[in-house]
Amino acid sequence: MVCMLHTKEGAGILLDYCAQALNPARRAEVDRHLEHCEECRKFVVAQTELWETLDRWTPPEVSPTFDARLYARIAREEAAPGWKKWARRILQPAAPVAVWKPAVSLVAACAVLALALVVHTPDRGAQTPQVHADSVDIEQVAKTLDDLDILAPSSPM
Amino acid sequence: MEAVAALERDAELMLRVREGDDTSFALLLERHRAPVIHFLYRIVQNQPASEELAQEVFLRVYRSRATYEPTAKFTTWLFRIATHLALNWIRDRKKERGQESLSEELLDGVERQVPDRQPTVEQELLYAVKLREIRRAIELLPEKQRAAVMMHKYEELEYAQIAKTLGCSESAVKSLLFRAYETLRARLAHMA
Repeated sequence: MVCMLHTKEGAGILLDYCAQALNPARRAEVDRHLEHCEECRKFVVAQTELWETLDRWTPPEVSPTFDARLYARIAREEAAPGWKKWARRILQPAAPVAVWKPAVSLVAACAVLALALVVHTPDRGAQTPQVHADSVDIEQVAKTLDDLDILAPSSPM
Repeated sequence: MEAVAALERDAELMLRVREGDDTSFALLLERHRAPVIHFLYRIVQNQPASEELAQEVFLRVYRSRATYEPTAKFTTWLFRIATHLALNWIRDRKKERGQESLSEELLDGVERQVPDRQPTVEQELLYAVKLREIRRAIELLPEKQRAAVMMHKYEELEYAQIAKTLGCSESAVKSLLFRAYETLRARLAHMA
């Protein structure tokens, strides 16, 4: 039998077992395992004791003026000028904004693009400058000149 | 089912706050005030600071009402804000005061937490000593492990919620918790 503590999943299940977070079927499975595994049994005892120790830590009562102070702050903020409210929203977002995540993607994309340009740029030194005059269609040039004539403002008769 | 209904109710209340219903904000505050303050208190271990940070949490919730979208559970969002503020507070304080471990306010806090059941002086002292050890053991955990334990043990958040709050994977949360509990078991074994 493989000890549950030796696998990541098994260790997580044991934690859930101690936190009473398993469904009855899963719990029964762990109970059966514990009958045969001393290492896991020791873990469960130690974790349960820790759980009970942590339960001793009760936080102090909430101050009775908490709500009043909060509503006063909200009122002050609501009375502030609009630009201040917007500045607060931008500078103090409710939840943290992971700016670095899109930044990393952008930098990675730029790096790939730069690499692609370096790899695919033809060696300019090996090429002789080419004049494309031979590829220009003379008829097309004439047509364009005609079009320009049509578009030009007509001269006074 | 009750838990699911409560979660849906939170989102519904927040959507009403978005429409300008301040009574719904009061209901949200009533429901989450204590859990948020207690969570912050256990992380920063300073009562005035925990209340100040909780005020900032609810202020940010109110400020964000116009743009709120129920894409995740309300509590995940709420605890994400709280965790972010708490960890920033710890970092700022570390910068200000260095790696001081037990402060005067910590000992002061212990005195305030003695239960009301008329214990003897000896019991009070024993309780204070045990509590101080628990707090110290938790305080010595790395920030993320500390936040993960608080959300798992005291707020009973799901792994997925803790993962979203801390910005990591569920598997990373399980590893964080396993390591944190391992450290705490070793540090507090003598108290069992």
